[in-house]
Amino acid sequence: MVTPPPSDDLLPAAPDIDASGVDRAQIRAMLELTPEERLRQVEDFVEAALEIRELNGARPVR
Amino acid sequence: MARARFAEILRLLAAGDVEFVVVGMAAGILHGAPVTTVDVDVVHCRSPENVARLLRVLAELDAVYRHDPRRLRPDESHLVGPGHQLLTTTLGDLDCLGTIDQDRGYEHLLGLSVEMKLAGGLTVRVLSLPALIEAKTRSGRPKDLAALPVLRATLEETKQRP
Repeated sequence: MVTPPPSDDLLPAAPDIDASGVDRAQIRAMLELTPEERLRQVEDFVEAALEIRELNGARPVR
Repeated sequence: MARARFAEILRLLAAGDVEFVVVGMAAGILHGAPVTTVDVDVVHCRSPENVARLLRVLAELDAVYRHDPRRLRPDESHLVGPGHQLLTTTLGDLDCLGTIDQDRGYEHLLGLSVEMKLAGGLTVRVLSLPALIEAKTRSGRPKDLAALPVLRATLEETKQRP
């Protein structure tokens, strides 16, 4: 049995990746924030990354 | 490494009347580039008065050289020069740079910077996105060149906004 293709309204929108591989949608999302909100988003990422590192110890990269 | 509170570092510097320009990837992030960083880079004015103000804030942040096991603290002799002081603080890593990009100091970069508001009515000067792109292009270092596609795309998107 052949699975029918999803209808058009279930297809995800094509990603907006430019010729350099940059996701333009991510940039537009960042531009919606204030400069301080942009920095806080990075803080959240760094904090989460550090937490994961602490949970996993300083293991060598394989 | 301390928990990163980059916005708070900038707020303390601004509240302490320190003259500085945010450069590096933190500048790119402030302009909207979807990138990350683990430190804040600033180029500070190296006048004795400003270095004194900077030292007061660095003391408040308990800043020490992050690669020195003696927990050496920066002093005036370090900060009046053109070198790079790589510090760690209670709010995250902070690099205080005397000059960047072929010996360009605060006075030069000020004219290439834009003002950005922080919460609470404070403002900071941030290297403009075109100037950041030019500096990273001139540097030619692989890590700087790698950031260029995202920074250039961010500049294009910024120009297209109403």
